Amino acid sequence: MNEIVKTYGLTKTYGDTTVVNNLDLNVAQERIYGFLGPNGAGKSTTLKMLLGLVKPSKGEIDIFGKRFNSKNRISILKNIGSLIETPSYYGHLTAKENLEILRILLDAPKSNIEKVLSIVRLDNQHNKKVSAFSLGMKQRLGLASAMLAFPKLLILDEPTNGLDPAGIQEMRELIRSLPKEYGMTVVVSSHLLSEIDQMADDVGIIANGKLKFQNSLAVLHEMHKSENLEDIFLELTGKDVSL
Amino acid sequence: MIKALKTEFLKTKRRYILLTVLAITAIEIIWFTYGDLSDDVIAQGWLMLLYQTPIVNAIIHPFLCCTVASRLCDIEHKGLMFKQLSCIYDRGALFDAKLLFGMMFITLSILIQFAAMIVYGAVCGFGRTFPLSYYGMQILFTIAITGAVYLVQHILSITIKNQAIPFVIGVLGTFAGLFSMFLPQLPWLRKIILWGYYGEMMFIGNNWSRETRINDFYMMGVSWSGFITLIIFIVVIYIIGKKLFISKEV
Repeated sequence: MNEIVKTYGLTKTYGDTTVVNNLDLNVAQERIYGFLGPNGAGKSTTLKMLLGLVKPSKGEIDIFGKRFNSKNRISILKNIGSLIETPSYYGHLTAKENLEILRILLDAPKSNIEKVLSIVRLDNQHNKKVSAFSLGMKQRLGLASAMLAFPKLLILDEPTNGLDPAGIQEMRELIRSLPKEYGMTVVVSSHLLSEIDQMADDVGIIANGKLKFQNSLAVLHEMHKSENLEDIFLELTGKDVSL
Repeated sequence: MIKALKTEFLKTKRRYILLTVLAITAIEIIWFTYGDLSDDVIAQGWLMLLYQTPIVNAIIHPFLCCTVASRLCDIEHKGLMFKQLSCIYDRGALFDAKLLFGMMFITLSILIQFAAMIVYGAVCGFGRTFPLSYYGMQILFTIAITGAVYLVQHILSITIKNQAIPFVIGVLGTFAGLFSMFLPQLPWLRKIILWGYYGEMMFIGNNWSRETRINDFYMMGVSWSGFITLIIFIVVIYIIGKKLFISKEV
Protein backbone atom coordinates (compact mmCIF):
# COMPACT_ATOMS: atom_id res chain seq x y z
CA MET A 1 0.00 0.00 0.00
CA ASN A 2 1.20 3.50 -0.82
CA GLU A 3 1.79 5.63 2.23
CA ILE A 4 0.51 9.15 1.75
CA VAL A 5 1.63 10.36 5.20
CA LYS A 6 4.63 9.03 7.08
CA THR A 7 6.19 10.47 10.20
CA TYR A 8 9.54 9.59 11.74
CA GLY A 9 9.99 10.16 15.46
CA LEU A 10 7.60 13.11 15.46
CA THR A 11 7.91 14.93 18.78
CA LYS A 12 6.57 18.16 20.26
CA THR A 13 7.70 19.58 23.55
CA TYR A 14 6.44 22.70 25.30
CA GLY A 15 8.95 23.56 28.02
CA ASP A 16 9.31 20.42 30.14
CA THR A 17 6.15 18.79 28.80
CA THR A 18 6.28 16.38 25.87
CA VAL A 19 2.82 16.39 24.30
CA VAL A 20 3.72 14.24 21.29
CA ASN A 21 6.42 11.66 21.79
CA ASN A 22 8.30 9.93 19.00
CA LEU A 23 5.33 9.25 16.71
CA ASP A 24 5.75 7.05 13.63
CA LEU A 25 2.48 7.45 11.77
CA ASN A 26 1.71 5.60 8.54
CA VAL A 27 -1.37 6.65 6.62
CA ALA A 28 -2.16 4.55 3.56
CA GLN A 29 -3.58 6.08 0.40
CA GLU A 30 -7.34 6.10 -0.23
CA ARG A 31 -8.15 4.71 3.19
CA ILE A 32 -9.69 6.23 6.30
CA TYR A 33 -7.23 6.49 9.16
CA GLY A 34 -8.91 6.85 12.53
CA PHE A 35 -6.71 8.71 14.99
CA LEU A 36 -8.08 7.78 18.36
CA GLY A 37 -7.12 8.98 21.80
CA PRO A 38 -8.44 10.45 25.03
CA ASN A 39 -8.68 14.19 25.64
CA GLY A 40 -5.23 15.76 25.83
CA ALA A 41 -3.51 12.77 24.22
CA GLY A 42 -1.82 14.87 21.53
CA LYS A 43 -4.17 14.26 18.57
CA SER A 44 -4.75 17.90 17.63
CA THR A 45 -1.09 18.79 18.13
CA THR A 46 -0.07 15.93 15.83
CA LEU A 47 -2.52 17.02 13.15
CA LYS A 48 -1.35 20.62 13.46
CA MET A 49 2.24 19.45 12.91
CA LEU A 50 1.13 17.63 9.75
CA LEU A 51 -0.27 20.95 8.52
CA GLY A 52 2.72 23.04 9.56
CA LEU A 53 0.64 25.06 12.03
CA VAL A 54 2.93 23.88 14.83
CA LYS A 55 6.65 23.28 14.40
CA PRO A 56 7.86 19.83 15.55
CA SER A 57 10.56 19.80 18.23
CA LYS A 58 12.02 16.69 16.62
CA GLY A 59 11.28 14.27 13.80
CA GLU A 60 10.36 14.41 10.15
CA ILE A 61 7.19 14.29 8.09
CA ASP A 62 6.76 12.91 4.59
CA ILE A 63 3.59 13.78 2.70
CA PHE A 64 2.88 12.58 -0.85
CA GLY A 65 6.40 11.11 -0.83
CA LYS A 66 8.04 14.52 -0.19
CA ARG A 67 9.86 15.70 2.95
CA PHE A 68 7.62 18.41 4.48
CA ASN A 69 9.49 21.67 5.13
CA SER A 70 8.88 25.43 5.15
CA LYS A 71 9.89 25.74 1.48
CA ASN A 72 7.42 23.23 0.00
CA ARG A 73 4.79 23.60 2.71
CA ILE A 74 2.21 25.57 0.72
CA SER A 75 2.62 23.52 -2.47
CA ILE A 76 1.99 20.32 -0.46
CA LEU A 77 -0.87 21.89 1.53
CA LYS A 78 -2.67 22.84 -1.69
CA ASN A 79 -3.51 19.12 -1.93
CA ILE A 80 -4.68 18.87 1.67
CA GLY A 81 -8.00 19.98 3.12
CA SER A 82 -8.36 20.37 6.87
CA LEU A 83 -10.79 21.02 9.68
CA ILE A 84 -8.91 21.44 12.95
CA GLU A 85 -10.69 21.82 16.28
CA THR A 86 -13.49 24.37 15.83
CA PRO A 87 -14.53 25.40 12.31
CA SER A 88 -13.11 28.66 10.91
CA TYR A 89 -15.37 31.18 9.21
CA TYR A 90 -16.16 34.87 8.61
CA GLY A 91 -19.37 35.34 10.58
CA HIS A 92 -20.40 38.51 8.76
CA LEU A 93 -20.29 36.74 5.37
CA THR A 94 -22.59 34.10 3.90
CA ALA A 95 -21.50 30.50 3.35
CA LYS A 96 -21.05 31.18 -0.35
CA GLU A 97 -18.96 34.32 0.32
CA ASN A 98 -16.79 32.41 2.79
CA LEU A 99 -16.11 29.69 0.23
CA GLU A 100 -15.48 32.24 -2.54
CA ILE A 101 -12.57 33.70 -0.53
CA LEU A 102 -11.02 30.27 -0.04
CA ARG A 103 -11.70 29.32 -3.67
CA ILE A 104 -9.72 32.32 -4.94
CA LEU A 105 -6.71 31.45 -2.76
CA LEU A 106 -6.90 27.77 -3.75
CA ASP A 107 -7.38 28.54 -7.48
CA ALA A 108 -10.31 26.12 -7.46
CA PRO A 109 -13.08 26.25 -10.09
CA LYS A 110 -16.16 28.34 -9.26
CA SER A 111 -18.41 25.30 -9.73
CA ASN A 112 -16.79 23.61 -6.70
CA ILE A 113 -18.65 25.95 -4.33
CA GLU A 114 -22.08 24.66 -5.33
CA LYS A 115 -20.76 21.09 -5.39
CA VAL A 116 -19.38 21.09 -1.82
CA LEU A 117 -22.39 22.98 -0.43
CA SER A 118 -24.58 20.30 -1.96
CA ILE A 119 -22.41 17.49 -0.54
CA VAL A 120 -22.69 18.87 3.03
CA ARG A 121 -26.36 19.81 2.48
CA LEU A 122 -25.97 23.55 2.99
CA ASP A 123 -27.18 24.47 -0.50
CA ASN A 124 -30.38 26.05 0.84
CA GLN A 125 -28.43 28.12 3.39
CA HIS A 126 -25.80 29.57 1.10
CA ASN A 127 -27.12 33.15 1.37
CA LYS A 128 -27.46 33.15 5.16
CA LYS A 129 -24.77 34.86 7.25
CA VAL A 130 -22.63 32.28 9.02
CA SER A 131 -23.05 34.07 12.37
CA ALA A 132 -26.67 32.89 12.22
CA PHE A 133 -25.68 29.25 11.66
CA SER A 134 -26.07 26.59 14.31
CA LEU A 135 -22.91 24.78 15.49
CA GLY A 136 -23.78 21.80 13.31
CA MET A 137 -24.16 24.03 10.25
CA LYS A 138 -20.82 25.71 11.00
CA GLN A 139 -19.26 22.26 11.26
CA ARG A 140 -20.70 21.36 7.83
CA LEU A 141 -19.34 24.61 6.40
CA GLY A 142 -15.95 23.72 7.87
CA LEU A 143 -16.08 20.40 6.07
CA ALA A 144 -17.17 22.10 2.85
CA SER A 145 -14.18 24.47 3.16
CA ALA A 146 -11.85 21.52 3.68
CA MET A 147 -13.24 19.75 0.59
CA LEU A 148 -13.43 22.83 -1.65
CA ALA A 149 -10.45 21.93 -3.86
CA PHE A 150 -11.32 18.19 -3.67
CA PRO A 151 -7.90 17.49 -2.16
CA LYS A 152 -6.03 14.18 -2.15
CA LEU A 153 -5.80 14.21 1.65
CA LEU A 154 -8.41 15.35 4.14
CA ILE A 155 -7.46 15.90 7.79
CA LEU A 156 -10.45 16.19 10.09
CA ASP A 157 -10.13 16.84 13.82
CA GLU A 158 -13.28 15.74 15.64
CA PRO A 159 -15.58 16.49 12.67
CA THR A 160 -18.75 15.32 14.42
CA ASN A 161 -18.46 17.86 17.25
CA GLY A 162 -21.72 19.67 17.79
CA LEU A 163 -23.74 17.44 15.48
CA ASP A 164 -26.96 15.73 16.49
CA PRO A 165 -27.25 11.92 16.03
CA ALA A 166 -28.68 12.30 12.53
CA GLY A 167 -25.90 14.72 11.65
CA ILE A 168 -23.27 12.38 13.08
CA GLN A 169 -24.57 9.53 10.96
CA GLU A 170 -24.66 11.74 7.89
CA MET A 171 -21.11 12.95 8.50
CA ARG A 172 -19.95 9.36 9.03
CA GLU A 173 -21.54 8.18 5.76
CA LEU A 174 -20.05 11.14 3.93
CA ILE A 175 -16.54 10.47 5.26
CA ARG A 176 -16.86 6.76 4.41
CA SER A 177 -17.77 7.65 0.83
CA LEU A 178 -14.83 9.99 0.24
CA PRO A 179 -12.11 7.45 -0.68
CA LYS A 180 -14.38 5.57 -3.09
CA GLU A 181 -16.18 8.52 -4.68
CA TYR A 182 -13.43 11.13 -4.75
CA GLY A 183 -10.21 9.13 -4.30
CA MET A 184 -9.46 10.99 -1.05
CA THR A 185 -7.44 9.73 1.86
CA VAL A 186 -8.98 10.77 5.17
CA VAL A 187 -7.33 11.16 8.56
CA VAL A 188 -10.04 11.61 11.14
CA SER A 189 -9.35 12.12 14.82
CA SER A 190 -11.85 11.48 17.55
CA HIS A 191 -12.26 10.45 21.13
CA LEU A 192 -15.55 8.72 20.21
CA LEU A 193 -14.74 5.04 19.94
CA SER A 194 -17.98 4.05 18.25
CA GLU A 195 -17.48 6.62 15.51
CA ILE A 196 -14.00 5.41 14.62
CA ASP A 197 -15.18 1.81 14.84
CA GLN A 198 -17.86 2.48 12.22
CA MET A 199 -15.78 4.74 9.99
CA ALA A 200 -12.13 3.81 9.86
CA ASP A 201 -10.16 1.27 7.87
CA ASP A 202 -6.97 1.77 9.86
CA VAL A 203 -6.55 3.07 13.37
CA GLY A 204 -3.82 4.72 15.41
CA ILE A 205 -4.35 4.95 19.15
CA ILE A 206 -2.46 7.66 21.01
CA ALA A 207 -2.24 8.30 24.74
CA ASN A 208 -0.01 10.71 26.64
CA GLY A 209 1.64 11.61 23.34
CA LYS A 210 2.72 8.04 22.53
CA LEU A 211 1.38 5.79 19.81
CA LYS A 212 0.00 2.71 21.56
CA PHE A 213 -1.34 0.88 18.52
CA GLN A 214 -1.31 1.33 14.74
CA ASN A 215 -2.77 -1.13 12.25
CA SER A 216 -6.02 -1.92 10.51
CA LEU A 217 -9.20 -1.98 12.57
CA ALA A 218 -9.70 -5.62 11.56
CA VAL A 219 -6.32 -6.55 13.12
CA LEU A 220 -7.24 -4.69 16.32
CA HIS A 221 -10.48 -6.63 16.62
CA GLU A 222 -8.70 -9.89 15.73
CA MET A 223 -6.05 -9.33 18.44
CA HIS A 224 -8.66 -8.68 21.08
CA LYS A 225 -11.48 -10.97 19.99
CA SER A 226 -13.15 -11.31 23.33
CA GLU A 227 -13.10 -7.63 24.19
CA ASN A 228 -15.17 -4.71 22.95
CA LEU A 229 -13.47 -1.59 21.58
CA GLU A 230 -13.96 0.35 24.80
CA ASP A 231 -12.12 -2.27 26.84
CA ILE A 232 -9.35 -2.51 24.23
CA PHE A 233 -9.01 1.27 24.25
CA LEU A 234 -8.89 1.56 28.04
CA GLU A 235 -6.33 -1.24 28.22
CA LEU A 236 -4.09 0.45 25.64
CA THR A 237 -4.41 3.96 26.98
CA GLY A 238 -4.47 3.23 30.68
CA LYS A 239 -7.66 3.00 32.71
CA ASP A 240 -6.82 6.13 34.74
CA VAL A 241 -6.76 8.23 31.61
CA SER A 242 -10.19 9.78 30.99
CA LEU A 243 -12.07 9.37 27.74
CA MET B 1 -0.57 39.11 -4.19
CA ILE B 2 -3.42 40.21 -6.46
CA LYS B 3 -5.43 37.17 -5.34
CA ALA B 4 -4.79 37.93 -1.69
CA LEU B 5 -5.70 41.62 -2.14
CA LYS B 6 -8.93 40.59 -3.88
CA THR B 7 -9.82 38.36 -0.93
CA GLU B 8 -8.99 41.18 1.50
CA PHE B 9 -11.50 43.33 -0.35
CA LEU B 10 -14.17 40.58 -0.22
CA LYS B 11 -13.58 40.08 3.51
CA THR B 12 -14.54 43.69 4.26
CA LYS B 13 -18.10 43.32 2.93
CA ARG B 14 -20.59 44.65 5.52
CA ARG B 15 -17.75 45.92 7.74
CA TYR B 16 -18.05 49.58 6.64
CA ILE B 17 -14.31 50.15 6.93
CA LEU B 18 -14.23 52.70 4.10
CA LEU B 19 -17.13 54.57 5.71
CA THR B 20 -15.25 54.65 9.03
CA VAL B 21 -12.11 55.96 7.32
CA LEU B 22 -14.08 58.67 5.52
CA ALA B 23 -15.80 59.68 8.77
CA ILE B 24 -12.47 60.03 10.61
CA THR B 25 -11.03 61.98 7.67
CA ALA B 26 -14.08 64.27 7.70
CA ILE B 27 -13.55 64.98 11.42
CA GLU B 28 -9.94 65.90 10.71
CA ILE B 29 -10.92 68.21 7.84
CA ILE B 30 -13.53 69.92 10.01
CA TRP B 31 -10.90 70.34 12.74
CA PHE B 32 -8.34 72.17 10.62
CA THR B 33 -10.88 74.22 8.68
CA TYR B 34 -12.91 75.32 11.71
CA GLY B 35 -12.68 78.90 12.93
CA ASP B 36 -12.21 82.43 11.61
CA LEU B 37 -9.03 83.37 9.88
CA SER B 38 -7.32 86.71 10.50
CA ASP B 39 -5.81 88.68 7.62
CA ASP B 40 -2.24 87.73 8.49
CA VAL B 41 -3.20 84.05 8.50
CA ILE B 42 -5.00 84.30 5.14
CA ALA B 43 -1.94 86.02 3.68
CA GLN B 44 0.19 83.06 4.76
CA GLY B 45 -2.59 80.47 4.61
CA TRP B 46 -0.72 77.81 2.69
CA LEU B 47 2.10 77.81 5.25
CA MET B 48 -0.40 78.01 8.12
CA LEU B 49 -1.95 74.73 7.01
CA LEU B 50 1.46 73.08 6.75
CA TYR B 51 2.19 74.25 10.31
CA GLN B 52 -1.15 73.09 11.72
CA THR B 53 -1.74 69.75 10.07
CA PRO B 54 1.17 67.78 11.61
CA ILE B 55 -0.21 68.57 15.06
CA VAL B 56 -3.72 67.52 14.05
CA ASN B 57 -2.29 64.44 12.25
CA ALA B 58 -0.38 63.45 15.38
CA ILE B 59 -3.71 63.04 17.17
CA ILE B 60 -6.03 61.78 14.44
CA HIS B 61 -3.82 59.53 12.31
CA PRO B 62 -2.75 57.11 15.08
CA PHE B 63 -6.43 56.70 15.92
CA LEU B 64 -7.16 56.06 12.22
CA CYS B 65 -4.34 53.49 12.07
CA CYS B 66 -5.55 51.75 15.22
CA THR B 67 -9.09 51.54 13.90
CA VAL B 68 -8.26 50.25 10.42
CA ALA B 69 -5.66 47.70 11.59
CA SER B 70 -7.97 46.41 14.30
CA ARG B 71 -10.99 46.12 11.96
CA LEU B 72 -8.99 44.26 9.31
CA CYS B 73 -7.35 41.81 11.72
CA ASP B 74 -10.26 41.24 14.07
CA ILE B 75 -12.32 39.58 11.31
CA GLU B 76 -9.62 36.89 11.13
CA HIS B 77 -9.23 36.44 14.90
CA LYS B 78 -13.00 36.30 15.55
CA GLY B 79 -13.53 33.40 13.15
CA LEU B 80 -10.19 31.68 13.86
CA MET B 81 -9.44 32.16 10.17
CA PHE B 82 -5.63 32.32 10.48
CA LYS B 83 -5.73 28.60 11.23
CA GLN B 84 -7.49 27.95 7.92
CA LEU B 85 -5.68 30.55 5.85
CA SER B 86 -2.25 29.37 7.04
CA CYS B 87 -3.02 25.99 5.49
CA ILE B 88 -3.73 27.35 2.01
CA TYR B 89 -1.61 30.48 1.68
CA ASP B 90 1.85 31.63 2.65
CA ARG B 91 1.72 33.45 6.00
CA GLY B 92 4.24 36.04 4.85
CA ALA B 93 2.11 36.85 1.82
CA LEU B 94 -0.99 37.08 4.06
CA PHE B 95 0.83 39.57 6.29
CA ASP B 96 1.88 41.67 3.30
CA ALA B 97 -1.53 41.60 1.61
CA LYS B 98 -3.33 42.74 4.75
CA LEU B 99 -0.71 45.44 5.37
CA LEU B 100 -0.94 46.73 1.81
CA PHE B 101 -4.74 46.70 1.87
CA GLY B 102 -4.80 48.67 5.12
CA MET B 103 -2.24 51.15 3.75
CA MET B 104 -4.55 51.79 0.80
CA PHE B 105 -7.17 53.14 3.24
CA ILE B 106 -4.54 55.21 5.07
CA THR B 107 -3.14 56.67 1.85
CA LEU B 108 -6.64 57.45 0.62
CA SER B 109 -7.40 59.32 3.84
CA ILE B 110 -4.20 61.36 3.55
CA LEU B 111 -4.82 62.24 -0.09
CA ILE B 112 -8.41 63.32 0.68
CA GLN B 113 -7.09 65.41 3.56
CA PHE B 114 -4.60 67.23 1.35
CA ALA B 115 -7.12 67.67 -1.44
CA ALA B 116 -9.47 69.25 1.10
CA MET B 117 -6.66 71.53 2.31
CA ILE B 118 -6.03 72.75 -1.23
CA VAL B 119 -9.72 73.33 -1.93
CA TYR B 120 -10.08 75.11 1.42
CA GLY B 121 -7.12 77.34 0.64
CA ALA B 122 -8.46 78.21 -2.79
CA VAL B 123 -11.93 78.99 -1.42
CA CYS B 124 -10.51 81.17 1.41
CA GLY B 125 -8.29 83.00 -1.07
CA PHE B 126 -4.95 82.21 0.55
CA GLY B 127 -2.25 84.63 -0.51
CA ARG B 128 0.96 83.96 -2.43
CA THR B 129 1.47 81.14 -4.89
CA PHE B 130 0.64 77.62 -3.90
CA PRO B 131 3.92 76.06 -2.60
CA LEU B 132 3.70 72.80 -4.56
CA SER B 133 7.08 71.43 -3.46
CA TYR B 134 6.27 72.01 0.23
CA TYR B 135 2.93 70.22 -0.11
CA GLY B 136 4.60 67.42 -2.04
CA MET B 137 7.09 66.96 0.80
CA GLN B 138 4.37 67.13 3.43
CA ILE B 139 2.33 64.44 1.66
CA LEU B 140 5.44 62.24 1.42
CA PHE B 141 6.33 62.72 5.10
CA THR B 142 2.75 62.21 6.26
CA ILE B 143 2.40 58.95 4.32
CA ALA B 144 5.78 57.75 5.65
CA ILE B 145 5.06 58.61 9.32
CA THR B 146 1.48 57.40 9.29
CA GLY B 147 2.61 54.33 7.36
CA ALA B 148 5.15 53.59 10.10
CA VAL B 149 2.49 53.97 12.79
CA TYR B 150 0.11 51.80 10.77
CA LEU B 151 2.81 49.14 10.41
CA VAL B 152 3.16 48.95 14.20
CA GLN B 153 -0.61 48.77 14.70
CA HIS B 154 -0.87 46.13 11.97
CA ILE B 155 1.80 43.96 13.61
CA LEU B 156 0.13 44.30 17.00
CA SER B 157 -3.37 43.61 15.68
CA ILE B 158 -2.37 40.65 13.51
CA THR B 159 -0.36 38.91 16.24
CA ILE B 160 -2.51 39.68 19.30
CA LYS B 161 -6.05 38.33 19.43
CA ASN B 162 -7.33 40.81 22.03
CA GLN B 163 -7.64 44.08 20.10
CA ALA B 164 -7.76 46.15 23.29
CA ILE B 165 -3.98 45.69 23.67
CA PRO B 166 -3.01 47.28 20.32
CA PHE B 167 -5.54 50.03 21.03
CA VAL B 168 -3.98 50.87 24.40
CA ILE B 169 -0.47 50.80 22.90
CA GLY B 170 -1.68 53.11 20.12
CA VAL B 171 -3.14 55.57 22.63
CA LEU B 172 0.03 55.52 24.74
CA GLY B 173 2.13 56.04 21.61
CA THR B 174 -0.03 59.01 20.59
CA PHE B 175 0.39 60.66 23.99
CA ALA B 176 4.13 59.96 23.97
CA GLY B 177 4.41 61.49 20.49
CA LEU B 178 2.47 64.61 21.49
CA PHE B 179 4.54 64.92 24.67
CA SER B 180 7.76 64.78 22.64
CA MET B 181 6.46 67.49 20.28
CA PHE B 182 6.00 69.91 23.18
CA LEU B 183 9.55 69.41 24.47
CA PRO B 184 11.73 71.13 21.83
CA GLN B 185 14.58 71.20 24.33
CA LEU B 186 14.78 67.41 23.99
CA PRO B 187 14.92 66.94 20.20
CA TRP B 188 16.29 63.37 20.51
CA LEU B 189 12.99 62.31 22.14
CA ARG B 190 11.05 62.88 18.89
CA LYS B 191 13.58 60.70 17.03
CA ILE B 192 13.17 57.65 19.27
CA ILE B 193 9.37 57.71 19.61
CA LEU B 194 7.74 56.73 16.33
CA TRP B 195 4.66 58.88 16.99
CA GLY B 196 7.01 61.83 17.62
CA TYR B 197 7.99 61.94 13.96
CA TYR B 198 4.94 64.10 13.24
CA GLY B 199 6.90 66.76 15.12
CA GLU B 200 10.33 65.75 13.89
CA MET B 201 9.30 66.16 10.24
CA MET B 202 7.55 69.53 10.74
CA PHE B 203 9.37 72.06 8.56
CA ILE B 204 7.17 75.14 9.03
CA GLY B 205 7.61 77.19 12.19
CA ASN B 206 5.58 80.12 13.55
CA ASN B 207 6.86 83.31 15.10
CA TRP B 208 3.78 84.42 16.94
CA SER B 209 4.09 87.83 18.57
CA ARG B 210 2.30 88.22 21.91
CA GLU B 211 2.25 92.00 21.50
CA THR B 212 1.00 92.29 17.93
CA ARG B 213 -0.78 88.90 17.91
CA ILE B 214 0.44 88.39 14.38
CA ASN B 215 1.51 84.98 13.03
CA ASP B 216 4.63 84.76 10.92
CA PHE B 217 5.07 81.31 9.36
CA TYR B 218 8.48 80.44 8.02
CA MET B 219 10.47 77.55 6.58
CA MET B 220 12.55 75.89 9.34
CA GLY B 221 14.35 73.36 7.18
CA VAL B 222 13.70 69.66 6.67
CA SER B 223 15.16 67.05 8.99
CA TRP B 224 16.46 64.68 6.32
CA SER B 225 18.39 62.73 8.97
CA GLY B 226 15.06 62.25 10.71
CA PHE B 227 13.47 61.01 7.49
CA ILE B 228 16.29 58.52 6.90
CA THR B 229 16.02 57.30 10.51
CA LEU B 230 12.28 56.86 10.00
CA ILE B 231 12.82 54.76 6.86
CA ILE B 232 15.32 52.58 8.76
CA PHE B 233 12.75 52.20 11.57
CA ILE B 234 10.13 51.11 9.01
CA VAL B 235 12.40 48.50 7.43
CA VAL B 236 13.53 47.04 10.78
CA ILE B 237 10.02 46.97 12.28
CA TYR B 238 8.64 45.35 9.10
CA ILE B 239 11.27 42.59 9.11
CA ILE B 240 10.85 41.84 12.83
CA GLY B 241 7.05 42.06 12.73
CA LYS B 242 6.68 39.81 9.69
CA LYS B 243 9.07 37.23 11.18
CA LEU B 244 7.07 37.30 14.44
CA PHE B 245 3.83 36.59 12.61
CA ILE B 246 5.29 33.87 10.36
CA SER B 247 6.91 32.00 13.24
CA LYS B 248 3.88 32.22 15.54
CA GLU B 249 2.31 28.82 16.07
CA VAL B 250 -1.41 28.60 15.38
